[in-house]
Amino acid sequence: MTETTAITEELLRVEGVTKRYGANTVLDDVSFTIGRNEVVGLLGDNGAGKSTLVKIMSGVVPMTQGAYFWEGTRYDGIDRQKTEELGVETIFQDSALVPQMSITRNIFMGREITNPLGLMKMREMDRITTEILDTVVTIEGIKSAKQLVGSLSGGQAQAVAIARAVHFKRSLLILDEPTSALAVRATEALLAYLRQLKGEGVSSVLVTHNLHHAYEVCDRHIVMNHGRKILDVRREETSVEELTAAVVEGAVGVERFRAGTF
Amino acid sequence: MPDTHEAPPTEREQHVLTAPVSTTSIATRSRTLSDSVPTTFGERVRDSIRYTRGRGALEIGIIFLAVLIGFIIAGLVAPNDFPFLAPSNLSGVISQSIPVLALLGIAAGILMIAGEFDLSLGANLGFSAIVFIRVSEEIGWGWGVAAALGSGIGIALVNGLIVVVTKIPSFIATLGMGFFWVGASFFVNGTAPAILSGAKDDVLTTLFVGDFGVFRMQLVWLLIMGVVGWLFLHRHKLGNHIFAVGGNAQAAKAISINPGRVKLLAFGIFGGLVAFAAILIAVRTNSMQPGSTVDYTLMAIAAAVVGGTSLLGGRGSIIGMIIGAALIRIIENGLILAKAPGFYIQLFVGLIIVVAAIFNKLMEGKAS
Repeated sequence: MTETTAITEELLRVEGVTKRYGANTVLDDVSFTIGRNEVVGLLGDNGAGKSTLVKIMSGVVPMTQGAYFWEGTRYDGIDRQKTEELGVETIFQDSALVPQMSITRNIFMGREITNPLGLMKMREMDRITTEILDTVVTIEGIKSAKQLVGSLSGGQAQAVAIARAVHFKRSLLILDEPTSALAVRATEALLAYLRQLKGEGVSSVLVTHNLHHAYEVCDRHIVMNHGRKILDVRREETSVEELTAAVVEGAVGVERFRAGTF
Repeated sequence: MPDTHEAPPTEREQHVLTAPVSTTSIATRSRTLSDSVPTTFGERVRDSIRYTRGRGALEIGIIFLAVLIGFIIAGLVAPNDFPFLAPSNLSGVISQSIPVLALLGIAAGILMIAGEFDLSLGANLGFSAIVFIRVSEEIGWGWGVAAALGSGIGIALVNGLIVVVTKIPSFIATLGMGFFWVGASFFVNGTAPAILSGAKDDVLTTLFVGDFGVFRMQLVWLLIMGVVGWLFLHRHKLGNHIFAVGGNAQAAKAISINPGRVKLLAFGIFGGLVAFAAILIAVRTNSMQPGSTVDYTLMAIAAAVVGGTSLLGGRGSIIGMIIGAALIRIIENGLILAKAPGFYIQLFVGLIIVVAAIFNKLMEGKAS
């Protein structure tokens, strides 16, 4: 036990997670751990169960069977309210922000700074947003905190979503296909930023089907195939080639790769 | 000021997020956002105009002003042929017909921002007015007001529950319930109009339709509701949640806002405003004929849309909704004063609604 789990400190652990929709089993007995200050890649082809797993980790969808541990404590009946309290933030592809609202209103959405009557302190919120955009994550091309998110590019919007998570001191950031809508330079910056977050005590899970992006930035890789976890390896124990074999051909691919016949 | 930018990016892709790390591939920016925060009064004004554009109220407000100025000029030039500025006309339009439609426009608009519709607005209006009249006549108008608010909010919340729980589109759910409440109006009241007579004392009259010469009480109520509505929708955190849920329910949910609860809140506010408008109408006309208020449904939605409220949710403003209602009513009034035949009025109002909606759609693209 102790010799393999060199993970620093346990943040999130799921055990035996199974998810069924009717007779259809989407996740089958999946267990893994996310350590503190760790960047974990969650990989797999379309339909591997990545999205469902993300929804279960963030409490949006309940699991059929399995257990959810946060810092070693078991939580039953986990929902979004609870994961919000624990400090999980998920940035879903294309849907983390409200395009019709300003950057400030998006950053403080659901966590507004208000007076006792519930009226928002707009100036203070604008000021803090300006500060966040200047310090936490500098984003080129943004002119004002009052700008509508809908007028931002994909990369800028992702950055705003990440800045929000960092500002509210989330401990686990789950990014669902964050690079799929980004230009090359924005992607590079995003990946560099994930490593930076690690230094600030934020763990992240990067869900992607771009193996090169994942390999570049993640400390550990979890590969899913048809609802099962088929690989869970540290960066130094694997290679882009092995990950490719796992994603493309599943467990068979890993065996073949290790036997040298892939 | 543009000379301080280094080579303005031509494509969106060129705006790049840069992490403050020492990676050579990433350019670190020297100019910060705090530098561009407006400091002088002039800058602040320019800044706020810039970030009001395309949000619904500004552009249609300018059009409204242009129409209004045109009418005032016409009224001054030809006071006999176009008696727009006659006190009785001004009082009728500004104090009576605009406020009721504006309150209904705000009701429909808030719900539309939350991403829902209520096509039973007119039916709810009629039913709540009948409840107000009947209860007032039985046990006094104080109870009548309370009962009307209860009925308006209750009917709207039932619609809200149907939509939130069953997830059927509000369009069809409220269309059906609209028929139901028109039928219910006839069921509780019969085909003859409900008459408000004995319960109408001076206090009730002054409170809801008081005539102060230049203005009437309805206008005061619109101002009060407008300010409260603005504070709620644009400055209160719950108003922010309404925009969030209507704009992108997924994003709101991901941040642990409960979209169902927010939509129910919007339905509740809608119902309260509809009931209030019902009281204003009933006290003014002293009667309510079952089934006679159905036209208000689409007029209210039209007022909201003309005022820049998006049919898809997430966008709109209280000021815009009031301006939308005012524009429709003023143009209607202008046509009546110009002695246009009745069908012309419908024709023009119809055109205005479509043109204003197209105009707002174009302006939406200019938002930054």
